Amino acid sequence: MNPDWSLLAPEYILAGWAAMVISVDLFFGRVRKDYLAYLAALGALVAALVSLIYINDDKPFGALLQIDNYATFFRVFFCLIAFFTCLISARFVQERVIHAGEYYALILVTTIGGIYMAAAEELLTAYIGLELLSFSLYVLTSFLKFDLRSNEGGLKYMLLGAFSSAILLYGISLIYGVTGTTNFSEIAQALSGNNDDLRFPMLLGLVLIISGLGFKVAAVPFHMWTPDAYEGAPLPITAFISAISKSAGFALFLKLFAEGFMPVIDEWRWIVAGLAATTMVFGNLVAIQQRNIKRLLAYSSIGQVGFLMMGIAAISPDAASAMLLHLAGYVISNLAVFVAIIICYNQTGKENIDDFAGLAERAPFVAMCLGASLLSLAGMPLFAGFVTKFILFQAAANQDMLWLAGVAVLMSFVSLYYYLVVIKEMYLGQPEAPTRFPIVPLEYAALAVLTAGVFFVGLYPQPFFDATANATDLLFAGTSAASVSSGPPAP
Amino acid sequence: MELGMEQAWLLPAITGGTFAFLLLFGKYLPRGGDFLAVGAGVATFVVFLFILTDLLDVPRESLPIGKGWDWVSFEGLEIRLGFEVDEITIVMLAVVTFVGSLIVLYSTGYMRGDPRYGWFFTVLMLFITSMLTLVLADNLLLLYAAWEGVGICSFLLIGFWHERRSAAEAAKKAFITTRIGDVGLLIGIILFWRATGTFDISEIIEAAEHGEGLLGDGTYLTLATLLLFAGAAGKSAQFPLHVWLPDAMEGPTPVSALIHAATMVVAGVYLVSRMMPVFAAADPIALDVVTALGFITVFISAAIGLVQTDIKRVVAYSTINSLGLMFIALGSLSVTAAMLYLLTHGFFKALLFMASGSVIHATEEQEVSKLGGLIKKMPITGWTFAIGALAMAGLAPLSGYWAKDEILVALEHEQNIILLALASFSVFITAIYMGRIFYLAFLGEPRDHHVHDRAHESPPVMTMPLVVLTALTLVSGFIVFSGVGEALGFDGGFGEFVYFEEPEVFHFDWIIGIGSLIAVIAGLAAVPYFWGGTGERAHAVAQQFPWAYKLVKNKFYMDEIYQVFLDRVVFVLSGILAWFDRNVVNDTGVDGSAMITRLAGYRAKFVQTGQLPNYAFAIAFGVIMLAVIAFAVEF
Repeated sequence: MNPDWSLLAPEYILAGWAAMVISVDLFFGRVRKDYLAYLAALGALVAALVSLIYINDDKPFGALLQIDNYATFFRVFFCLIAFFTCLISARFVQERVIHAGEYYALILVTTIGGIYMAAAEELLTAYIGLELLSFSLYVLTSFLKFDLRSNEGGLKYMLLGAFSSAILLYGISLIYGVTGTTNFSEIAQALSGNNDDLRFPMLLGLVLIISGLGFKVAAVPFHMWTPDAYEGAPLPITAFISAISKSAGFALFLKLFAEGFMPVIDEWRWIVAGLAATTMVFGNLVAIQQRNIKRLLAYSSIGQVGFLMMGIAAISPDAASAMLLHLAGYVISNLAVFVAIIICYNQTGKENIDDFAGLAERAPFVAMCLGASLLSLAGMPLFAGFVTKFILFQAAANQDMLWLAGVAVLMSFVSLYYYLVVIKEMYLGQPEAPTRFPIVPLEYAALAVLTAGVFFVGLYPQPFFDATANATDLLFAGTSAASVSSGPPAP
Repeated sequence: MELGMEQAWLLPAITGGTFAFLLLFGKYLPRGGDFLAVGAGVATFVVFLFILTDLLDVPRESLPIGKGWDWVSFEGLEIRLGFEVDEITIVMLAVVTFVGSLIVLYSTGYMRGDPRYGWFFTVLMLFITSMLTLVLADNLLLLYAAWEGVGICSFLLIGFWHERRSAAEAAKKAFITTRIGDVGLLIGIILFWRATGTFDISEIIEAAEHGEGLLGDGTYLTLATLLLFAGAAGKSAQFPLHVWLPDAMEGPTPVSALIHAATMVVAGVYLVSRMMPVFAAADPIALDVVTALGFITVFISAAIGLVQTDIKRVVAYSTINSLGLMFIALGSLSVTAAMLYLLTHGFFKALLFMASGSVIHATEEQEVSKLGGLIKKMPITGWTFAIGALAMAGLAPLSGYWAKDEILVALEHEQNIILLALASFSVFITAIYMGRIFYLAFLGEPRDHHVHDRAHESPPVMTMPLVVLTALTLVSGFIVFSGVGEALGFDGGFGEFVYFEEPEVFHFDWIIGIGSLIAVIAGLAAVPYFWGGTGERAHAVAQQFPWAYKLVKNKFYMDEIYQVFLDRVVFVLSGILAWFDRNVVNDTGVDGSAMITRLAGYRAKFVQTGQLPNYAFAIAFGVIMLAVIAFAVEF
């Protein structure tokens, strides 16, 4: 059967655009580097718009990819992440990075990798998508050639990445050995049969796959690379990693476990739940101790990973859609935080929490947006974080995971502390210099849009809720999810 | 676009948008943007007219009609922003949009020169938005949100001159007292939600009528209904929660006219009218409570009104008196009488407040001991006040007469002769104190010549609304007649338009009609007798019954009783709780757990060594641990 090549149009656009950005940089070396950023951002935006064509499609590409609402959701989502990352990189890259063309091209290529992870229907395609994403990110992390921390972070990220890739591959091979297939739904069929002899390798395969994906999303204890990579990477790339690497990891995690491993849910549910609990406790506790804003966000993102894994442990149509909702809310809030921090960094070149003292006087708008986004991350009402956490925790509680939801609430509470510390510095601290920040229209606009998103999700979550419910609708269609689900998601 | 009932959401949207605009940009606009507020007020009235036309076109059975959006909807919880219109709502809309726009206009004169001029109009817009949302809401949750919205606006506006301690105290008192009722309302709403799983008013009414689920349990239904009534009693200043309304007169007079006469205080009446099928389905004791509290409120307020010497406070007590009457009507299942009284009361009470505001504006004095003889200096204010007072007293053929007559007829139908007699007696007292306040302020000789010399007629922007309201006070009562109703495009008289269960065709009961008229005239005639000259006869009566005079003069010591309760019970209890909170909860619980958390974080951070082999080891360790857990669970 000939695959329908037209299904991959957004990826062609991204890849072609990446080549174009490199060529422009190569052949028109004197072009202003921030134009490259706008060019790349435009490409991401075009790809996002083209992706919208496939809404409500449900077509396979060979047996490798499935272009359905789930894939469309993540296509748009990842392209928008890339769009914002390119935009906010403009000034940073112009001032601090050489080889701007490659920088933007890699961002677009990473996006392709992420999309393949979300759209994959079988393990090897997913693995290749993951490697495409990871390799681009290794390079991007160490992009600041003359910065030791950047080199260190990139190297650690790559070595550990290779290590965990091996673990993941080993897991994949074991599952292939047990089931004789790499296709998700065929895995589910094979596993639902009675196969007691192969229990041991199947379990080992599960553990290894969870570990490998756990590395990707930075679950404790596979998170060690995160703080170093976050701190070392160029700031916009830190934002990019925190958004796309996690989302893509979770997209694959959710799809694989909902479609492939549902029949053996009792085997892995407690592993994931335990991992979720450890991750949220560890991430949030260590975050309290951080002094560097990037490391603080690294640990806080680890804490958030714990919340998201809860959605996988409590897997059900409700929980899956709630997890996607929280993922979207988290990424929007987190990007807003990073945009605000990048604006400050471009101005001051400093990145410790103390350096934010008196920001409210020097840049009131930035301080307000940063404050709102941090409160959203903490899960305060009015902001995105409250709604998404509420729905996610409720979904977990509905699946007999009340204890886990309890731990999550407690840790949300802890997280409020370290977010508030930043807000306190901004509003109560004395500024080093009383000068106002100059207003950079583009960066301020990006910040305004993202902050508006934070409020929008917080005040009127219904459209997002519908979107995530649509996206996850089909995940459970094939498997006998009826035994664990508590009814269809709200229309 | 067709403008009709489905677009009713436009009403709060217009004023809400104006509020947001004034809040953000008001200080950059000339005159604080008051013209925008006036424009928004007029716009709501115009939209109201379209809605009214639309409502008259459709058959009654299709009501209520409206439109809504799901705000949040997931399993087990649906929150809607829904707006709908029915007959009761349209009466409320008439009062809110019409009186509202007049008062916004009047305020541009009354508040001139105030340092927070723009802020006044901003809050006024927020109030009108909340009030419109309250009457249009199709579900109890939205209604409750708007209910608290008008509460907070009332708080802000009573305390508008918060530099004055008494104003700040009054704002606090109003807020806290009504909150007591509001808690009841909230619990009531939750009880209904628990029983039916919905906040939708129509669905709840249906469930109550058919006794579905938990609502089939009479005690549960009655309890929930009484809790709803608690909220209504708080907002509508019914005994024993009436104490805040007289103090609320500390606010600017337009506020008293709008919030504390025409609109917010009748929200309770509106709520009970809207939920009347639920009250009827509950145990009869629920409606008996409504009637009983109505009567107590009427007599307490009437008695206190007799001895008050502050012109605005007398009008305030007359408001409590009127609200009591409306609840008496509701207790007798007569939504018609209650809503008719509400409509006419909105006009003549706003008129009374605005006229007394005109007096205060001109003389900067509100004690009648310093006033007197003002009618020559302020003829428009004086005559309009007189007509308002006569309507409040219930003199035919003013609007107050017809509305009060409906209530008395309803009492005769549903209750016994004793209650009818009591109500008629209250009409007599009302006539006395309304006559008294007019007599003391506007007739006779000036008591303070400084004040009298200062007095002057108010500017047209203030007297014009007075004249408009006077006209309405004169004629609005006639809509009880079928002929008048039909001429206006209704099916018939007011009773055939707004009713509960059965349309009420107007018929005039001669005994009651003439009897109440005699009571009014007797009351008015007694005024010059007792308060003529220097008022010796009134003094003599007071001296005859010193204890009774003292009791009434001190407002039945309600404030003192509450104060003792607060001091002896509430503050003692809260003192104990505060000690517990400081020593146990804070020092041990919060600080202690914070210390443990921080210590744990401090320990855990050393796991991150920065050494690559350690990282790899952690991953390997993690894999092994997971495998161990997996196998432990498995085998």
